[in-house]
Parts: sequence; C-alpha cells; structure tokens
Amino acid sequence: MRESVKMLLHYITGVLILITGAIHVLSGHFEAYGLIKSAELYSINKLIFLASILYHALNGVRVVLIEFVPKRWFTDSITLVLIIIGLAFFIYTSLLIF
Amino acid sequence: MKVTFKIFRFNPAVDSSPRWSVYEVEVDKSATILDALLKIKENIDPTLTLRYSCRQAVCGSCGMVINGKERLACFTRVLELNSNMITIEPLKNFPVIKDLVTDFTELFVKEKTIKPYIIRRDLEEMMKPVGMYLQKEEETLSYLQFAECIECGLCVSACPTVSIDRLFLTPMVLNKAYRFSIDPRDEGFEERLSIIDSEHGCWRCHFALACSNVCPKGIDPGKSIQYLKNMITSHSLLELFLGRTKKKKKTELLERPHISSEPEI
Repeated sequence: MRESVKMLLHYITGVLILITGAIHVLSGHFEAYGLIKSAELYSINKLIFLASILYHALNGVRVVLIEFVPKRWFTDSITLVLIIIGLAFFIYTSLLIF
Repeated sequence: MKVTFKIFRFNPAVDSSPRWSVYEVEVDKSATILDALLKIKENIDPTLTLRYSCRQAVCGSCGMVINGKERLACFTRVLELNSNMITIEPLKNFPVIKDLVTDFTELFVKEKTIKPYIIRRDLEEMMKPVGMYLQKEEETLSYLQFAECIECGLCVSACPTVSIDRLFLTPMVLNKAYRFSIDPRDEGFEERLSIIDSEHGCWRCHFALACSNVCPKGIDPGKSIQYLKNMITSHSLLELFLGRTKKKKKTELLERPHISSEPEI
C-alpha cells in the first residue's frame, strides 16, 4: 500500500473517530430517553469506532517510529508488526463487543 | 563599527571536538557577513574555511547559520543583524567538511532519485527534435516560484524532520519534485511517485514551515510540499476508485522548420 493511501486512511479514521465516538458517548443519553431502536446498530458503531481508533493510533505510532529509526529494514518490518498487533487487538475486542 | 564574530571551528581530520574562535573586526555599514569573514581570513586567520562563489545570492554556496538562523552570508548585512556579537555556525543536518563548509553529497543523491528534469514519452521527438514546446505565460507562472531554487540547503538545515529522519527527502528535493511534476511539458509524475509517495517522502513533512521561513529566494517549499500531497492524493483516489489517472494537459509541440536534427555544415 502506498504511503498516500495510508495517510488518507489516517485522516478518514480521524473523522470517523469524531463521529462514531460522539454517537458512542451520547448513546447513554439515547438509552436514558428510550430512543434506542437497535442495539446491533450501536454495536456496529462501536466496532467502527474501535477499528478507526486502532488504525489511527497505530499508524501514528508507525509514523513516529519510522522517523525516529530511519533504517530501511525497520521501516518495512514495523508496518508488519503493527498490522499483526492491530489485527490481534481488533479480533479480541470484537469478540468482547458481540 | 567594531563587531565580534564567534565562529564555529572544526576539522574532523584533526580535531576530536568542535571549538569556537572569537575575532574582533572593524566593518563598514554596507559590509555583508561574507565580507567580514573574508576580512578575517585575509587579515587575521587564514586557516578559517568557508565556501562562496558569486557574492550575489545566486550560487547558494555560502549558506550558514548566522545568529541562530539559516542565511546566505553574501545576502546578509552585518547591520541588519542589529548586534555587535555575531555567531556563525555551519548548516545543521549536514556533515561538516571543515569549519563552515558542509558536505551536500547525501542531499544531491536524494535529489537524483526524484529525476529532477523534464521527462517525456515522445522519445522520437527527444532524439530528433523538430520543434519546441512553447509555454503560455500562465503555464510558466504556475511553477515559476518553485523553479527559483538555488540549492543552498538552508531549508534542509532548518527542517525539524530532517534532524531526526535522515532518510526524509528534504524540502529542497520535494520542492524540486513538485516543480517538475506541474511543469506542463513534463510526463514523469508517475515515475517519481514511488520515491515521493514513500515512507520517507512528502508525508513526513509536518508543516513546521521552517523551510519557508529561511528560503532566501522566497520559494516557500512548505507550500509546494502541501501541493504535492494534494496532487498525490488526487492521483491515488482516481487510481483507487476509477482505476485511471487524470490526464495532464500537454504543452503542444510547435513545429519549427528551422530546427533540424541534422547539424548543418
């Protein structure tokens, strides 16, 4: 994947965190006023929030690390390591949500 | 007017660590930093080493850090610094060859990777030219500001990203990549993409704008890097969703009968 696609996803997930995070925080109020129509939709929102936050945070860590350790082998391997960490965390947390 | 110069001295071949030399020099009102340094070299300390050539901010040889800011020595007057104590250091983020002279080799190697020249696909025309690519005024103006680069390295020295990421392409190189990519005669954007859109390419610019702040030619490399990001994003989106890239409007070839590939004898 090219760097521009990775960074574009970084910006998109930033916006998604804002939207899904707001829905997630406000869901308590919706629940209190009996406005919840579908619990599944909230779970899906939570899943998008989780995926966005994981991508955004881990990509941020990747950017910091590749700047601090400017070695070609490190740049290539750190992306792979962070993908594995992100996927493991996502699968584990998704199982907790559903 | 008497001015004290505190100058960075270091010869990696002999010295184990850098030191400072202090000189008191009598300079007149119109003197530049370069004039003062040459006065020191000629009259006080001939071992002081510096690089210069044109003395008129065209060659970009005399870049150095003067009172904490990257400037061209030939383009900075002693008076404008408004101080009787002037500190001079070599450019940061470059290896020091001796005293105020730095090694640009690594930078020029990076520059070479982005193919800083006009690339065209019409090889026939390249090998046997029959005309010229006449540009309209607005086409020239679209990249003129970014074409003024004299490769003095001040932006590279000021850039906070270069100071930590040695593989970062640098503002100078990215500006050059943009300058050629928007040139209507150029068709090499996709060839440059693998380098400028890499992990250490334009996306590592954090928009500190230190480069634009020190550029002696007013190029604003920070702006060109943002334009470059925009250009790459549009290209990636079109490629990702439509499976094609935007067709660049080409400069037309104007045939000129007097231009011949065969030299007349």
